[in-house]
Amino acid sequence: MRSNTKKELLLKYGIPCLSVVVVAVQLFFVSERQLSKWKGGGYGMYSEIHYYYNQIYIPDLSVDSLVKTSLEMKETLGYLMVMPNDKNIENAAKLILETTQRDSVFVQLWKPVVSLKNKTFTRALVNEIYLKKSDL
Amino acid sequence: MSILIHIKNSLKDPIKIAQFLLALFAVIYLVLLADDFFVFKIPILVGGLVFWIIDYKKRAFPVLWLTILVLLIIDVIGSYFWVANHHFLLCFMVLSMITFFYHKRSSILFVNIQTLVVIVLLLSVFQKLFSSQFISGNFYYHDINQGAMFRPLFYLFPDSLEIANQNVDNIKKLKESDPNLEHSIAVIDIVPNLRIMTVIYAWLTILVEAIVALFLIWKPRSTWTHLFLIIMICGILFTKLETGFMSLLAICGLFLCTSLKQKLIYIAILMVCILIIMAKMGYH
Repeated sequence: MRSNTKKELLLKYGIPCLSVVVVAVQLFFVSERQLSKWKGGGYGMYSEIHYYYNQIYIPDLSVDSLVKTSLEMKETLGYLMVMPNDKNIENAAKLILETTQRDSVFVQLWKPVVSLKNKTFTRALVNEIYLKKSDL
Repeated sequence: MSILIHIKNSLKDPIKIAQFLLALFAVIYLVLLADDFFVFKIPILVGGLVFWIIDYKKRAFPVLWLTILVLLIIDVIGSYFWVANHHFLLCFMVLSMITFFYHKRSSILFVNIQTLVVIVLLLSVFQKLFSSQFISGNFYYHDINQGAMFRPLFYLFPDSLEIANQNVDNIKKLKESDPNLEHSIAVIDIVPNLRIMTVIYAWLTILVEAIVALFLIWKPRSTWTHLFLIIMICGILFTKLETGFMSLLAICGLFLCTSLKQKLIYIAILMVCILIIMAKMGYH
């Protein structure tokens, strides 16, 4: 009888509990790894401006052209947009150095900032890195 | 008249019809999502469908559901941070279908679906409440002024569309400049009093989602619950064509409702969403 109750509880709430685990993982990544709330299965879509509006800025280099160089570059810069943490910006800088044969690279990630009070649109710096080839 | 009776009889078992529609949605979703891995995903899916048809009488294994789940999980593993939120919800719903195949208890399936929707809604409320950008109205202000929301209204107010396009152009120009110079641009409101409207709409969104979640916990079969859920789904679709997520919420509503009218409304919403998805419009 008792095992039946346990089994019923497991069948009723096992799958929802699994979804809560996914949510907990997403919340961890949002707070510790700077993941956009839009992704990771935590149902945080439409709670902040989409990461698509983030901007990667590299002086004297077109990001649009850079993205087209390889699938790896597209993925690496994509990860930087959705999760602009230190690891991802470093990975992006390393790959850019390897691809462009430069001696150094300066990569910044900016996010949009809108103020309805002032009716303005501007950008705020999220993360940046200056990497030299000699550092690799 | 006989057609109406036939429809009524078909809708008597909401689980059967909801299961069929969920499978239909999942297959369309997987085909559209196949993209680069079309070569191996589609044969797996076709194999699952063929086996499902051959095994029609025996139905010893939930082959189709297992095939769908495997393909969904491949995407989760390969693109964990890229798949949409409704991809996760779809995985859990398919998992519920597989367990239902074995326990065959509609009351358990009902609790599965009810709890999943409640979690989705409460998390959505929680994430919005803890986002200063959302509760201040800045999020809606950004998207609405760029014409990313309420697209149908632009057909009625072409002047607003022009202003939105102007905002997009100005932002594009700003993005061409060095962000370290800390330039900013003025945003032009597409309609008067947009500042107040966005704040009200932000809180209204939170309120509606919270009400639907609480009603689903308290009285999941009540007419009021489903009325609020239907209003919320239609409201979201009007704000933005989130056809993927809304299809799943409509299927969840179908699992949970009892009235014929509600079932027909959910089916109609789902059909419209599927048509939009197949036309490759909307977000899925």
